[in-house]
Parts: sequence; C-alpha cells; structure tokens
Amino acid sequence: MVADRRQGKAGETGPGLAGSGLAGELRELLAELAGRPELRTADFGLPLFGAGIGLDSLTGTLLLREVHRRYGVDVAAEDLNLDALASLASLASFIETRRR
Amino acid sequence: MTPPGDNAASDAGDAGGPAGGNSNVVRDTNQVVGDTNEVVRDTNQIVGDTNQIVGDTNQMVGDTNQMVGGTNETAGSRGGAVARAVVKCVVWDVDHTLLDGVFLEADGEPPGADPAMVAVLAELSRRGILHAIASRNPPAVAEHVARVTGAAFVAAECGWDAKSDAIGRIADHLGIGTDAIAFVDDDPYERAEVSFARPEVMVLDPEEMTSAPGWPEFSPAVVTAEAARRSQLYLDRQRRQAAEREFGGSREEFLRWCQTEITIGPAALADADRLAELSARTHQFNSAARALPAAEFTGLIAAGEAAGPPPAAEPVGVGTAASGPAEAGFTPLIAAGDSARVLAVRLRDRFGDDGLVGTCVTEAGPGGWTVTLLAMSCRAMGRGVIDSLLAWLIEAAARAGARELAIPAVLTPRNVPLRLALVAAGFRASEAEPAGGSAGEAGQRRAVFQRAIDAGEAASPAGAGGEAGAGGEPTANEAGDGG
Repeated sequence: MVADRRQGKAGETGPGLAGSGLAGELRELLAELAGRPELRTADFGLPLFGAGIGLDSLTGTLLLREVHRRYGVDVAAEDLNLDALASLASLASFIETRRR
Repeated sequence: MTPPGDNAASDAGDAGGPAGGNSNVVRDTNQVVGDTNEVVRDTNQIVGDTNQIVGDTNQMVGDTNQMVGGTNETAGSRGGAVARAVVKCVVWDVDHTLLDGVFLEADGEPPGADPAMVAVLAELSRRGILHAIASRNPPAVAEHVARVTGAAFVAAECGWDAKSDAIGRIADHLGIGTDAIAFVDDDPYERAEVSFARPEVMVLDPEEMTSAPGWPEFSPAVVTAEAARRSQLYLDRQRRQAAEREFGGSREEFLRWCQTEITIGPAALADADRLAELSARTHQFNSAARALPAAEFTGLIAAGEAAGPPPAAEPVGVGTAASGPAEAGFTPLIAAGDSARVLAVRLRDRFGDDGLVGTCVTEAGPGGWTVTLLAMSCRAMGRGVIDSLLAWLIEAAARAGARELAIPAVLTPRNVPLRLALVAAGFRASEAEPAGGSAGEAGQRRAVFQRAIDAGEAASPAGAGGEAGAGGEPTANEAGDGG
C-alpha cells in the first residue's frame, strides 16, 4: 500500500511529501557529482534527462553507482529503461520501494 | 625475450596474447599468483570476454595462435587452460623495485633507477601499456621516479595503507578493471597481500618482470597509433581536467573553449586495427560486448567502399559547428541499400588529438536503420562525443527517410553509461531473447533500443547536445580506451 502510494506520486512529488528526505539526499549527491551547486535547489520533479537537468551519461553513471553503494539498490539491473531516472522524486520512490 | 615482429608485438588493447600457447600461460600465471585455485576461479569470471578476444587475436595475427584458438574458443574447455587478459596498466612499487635503493634512506641525492626496469618501462610504454606507482613514500617520490626512469606515470598512490587498496583506486581512476592490472613489488609481504585481497591482479617480483615483455599478457597483437600515444593522451587529459577545474562556465562552454572537434566519417581500411581494438577494449560504451576482429572490419569497410565512393568526413562537433550536427555540408554517409557502413568518430581539441575514439556499424534496411555495433572509448566520455554521434545518427536516418533507428545491445554491468546515453537521446529498450543471434553468447541479457524517427528531425536532431550541455566533473575515466 505504502509503496503503491509513493510510486503513484513518482515524477511529481514535491518537497515535504513522503520520500523527500531521500530525494533531498539524492539532490545533494547529484549536485556534488555534477559539480553544479545550483542543483541544490532544483525541483524534485524536474526531468533529469534533456532540458531539465541535462543529466549526462558520466554523471548518471556516478549517481547510479553511489545509489547502489549507499542504498543497496541496483537501478540499472532492475530498470531496463532507467525510468527511475525520470526525476529525483521518481528515483527516490524507486529506492524507497526496494531498499528494505 | 623480445616479442616477434610488429605484427605480433603489441598493443595494450587486445587480450589473450598468442606467443607460447596455453601451457605457457598456465605456467606463468601459476608462478606469479602462486595459487592455482584462485587463478582458475578468477579466470572463470571473465570466461566470456577472454574467449572472444583470444579468438580474435588468432584471426588478426594468424600465425602462431592456432593452438590457443583451438582450445579456447569454446567456454567448456577452459578448465585447465587459462589465459589472462592483456595487462593495461602496471602498478609499480618504488624502493628496490624501480629504484636501486630506498628513497627515504638516501643521505643526499635519492637513488637512481634500476636499469633493467627502465628498459621494461620503455618497452611496455611503446606497446601502449600504462604505468602507475604505489609506494610507501611521500608524494615527492613520484616526481623523482619519473625523472630518473624517464617514464610517464599516469597515477601515483603514495601512502601507508594497503597496496591492494591503492590498486583499487588506480583502477578506478583509470576506469579499468583490476583484472587488467599487473603489480610489481620486491617485498614478498606486499605481493602476498595483493594476491590475497585481489586474486585477479597479476602479481610479480622485479626479477620476473624482466622477462614479462615476452609473455602474452604483455604482448598485445597490434600497436595502433592511439595505443602508442596512450600515456601522452592520458597526460593531455590531466591537463584538460585541470583546466576545467579552473574554468568558470558550463561544461558546454568549456568544450567550446577547448575547441573540441568531433568528426564522423567513413572508416578506411587502414582503421581496421584500431576499430578492432576499440571493439575489444571498450566496455562502458559498447553495445556488442564482444570483440570484432580486424578482418571483420576490413570486410565490412571493403564491402561499403565497393557499394560506392565514400563521402568526406564531416565535423559535427561541439567547438566547430554550433552545438548540433546540422551543417550545410551534410552528406549522406549511409545510403538506403547499403549492406553496412562502418563509421569512424575522431576527436581532438586544443589539448591534443585523441584520434579515432569511436565507431558504429550501421545497416540501412527498408524501414529503418540498425546499428549493429556501437563502441566508444571512454576517454571520450564527458566530451560530447556519444551524444553528438547519436544525434548525428538520428539526423542522418531522418534525412535518408528512415522511420526508425534500432540499436541491439548486450546488457552488461559495465555498459550502463551507454544505456544512459541512449535513454537521454530518446531510445526505449525492450528485452530480447537471450539465446542465439550474433551480438553475443547464449545466456547474455540483451535488449533492443529503438527510437522512432520523425521526418522533421532531419533539420533539428532531438538528441543533440545532451552530454555536452550537462555539467559534471569528468572523474570516471579510462586508461586509453579501457572503459
């Protein structure tokens, strides 16, 4: 139930909702890995690919590696199309539903 | 032992060298690691790759290798006959290994280099094998060692923690697997520690190292121009990274400032060795997860040239053209009815010329294009190359009237960067049947990445500029192509 609710919000979860703590951690991580401090205030629903955040394959790889290390969730192995990387919110939901 | 002629001599890239056959490989491997069980277990982990690569080497060199190929081509026969991948980087201890004494015990001038090791350093560099330092000395030792040996060291780990950890950091830094590293140390304790903690690392004492250039693990089949300049390319990259840290603007602005030039053109027959090397050495941006022999590239290129005169290469890059590949001089490199076209992607900027860093093999079918191989050196990672190539393919397909672009890929833990680039360029994957086909071995996880092509994309490619436009420090790296 809880997992379903969170998944339903993937992509549009804003600050203050369930998982925003994790999304906040991920946002810090992304800003650090990308070397772009301005991402620390990016919207959790902003698309990671393309015009939103413009995640490149290098930063994306580092992010997935760190997610695997910190939370034990291997996104690349479980998510063929990497849909979890639609946004920081969807990535947080994906991790939340799998890490326990 | 000096390796045979130019043909068989070298290139850090290709694995599973020829000279000597399996029995030699087994003997050497056991000597250096000292524990047969470890070696066998470790080698089984890389069974797929090694078989493929050994097979390819046979075809490229063609003479001495029948016995290697005969026993290794099927995975089932590997039990007693183990072949290691070719070493990409040698990690050296300093005191009593590279130096003729102990750095910190010197009263005045620190000790000079061991002449035997200087010769080995130079010979391996010539073959495109990198060198690094792991030393229990202050960082100043690296500069001294570089000066007295005359060698270029692409990484130096100076400190007091375990050398197996230092090796892990060096491998990470270079973007290569620890199974592509050899470690040389005069201290039996250090060798034992590394052997125990990292059984995949080839561990040698300095005495053994004097004969190592004659071993298959240090004898790549071919030395391409890129391989021979590998240390220099790496040093270019360190200067580029230092400049990027100083640079104020975005990644894309930095790439422009670097005068990054990405050129896509038809591959020539002379490129075949380098293309084979790319297909064997690259992992992070490799769709096929298997090495194609040079002969296969030669055949494809020759067939393509027979089908029509190759058009000129064209710049698509970040620094020359604005940010997208759309240029007035665009020529259709791939025409409907072509059986296959082999494309070569070249990269250079103000810091240096990286040469041929990527390739793709494209077949133009009636309804759409299929990219049967996509491989890029991870040296080019973070420099806009993969995104420019994908954007170029989309645009070229659109101009040719293709409705779809399909890229079959073997999914490996290491080619996640390729998947990220494909997803960013609008591709969607569907899982394919694991067995059969030409892209890989049975049991591999495979998928086809597809993207519908809109006629309007002939003018403005949707995938353009993704990587170039994004930020991020290029910290995940590679040695030569090693990624």
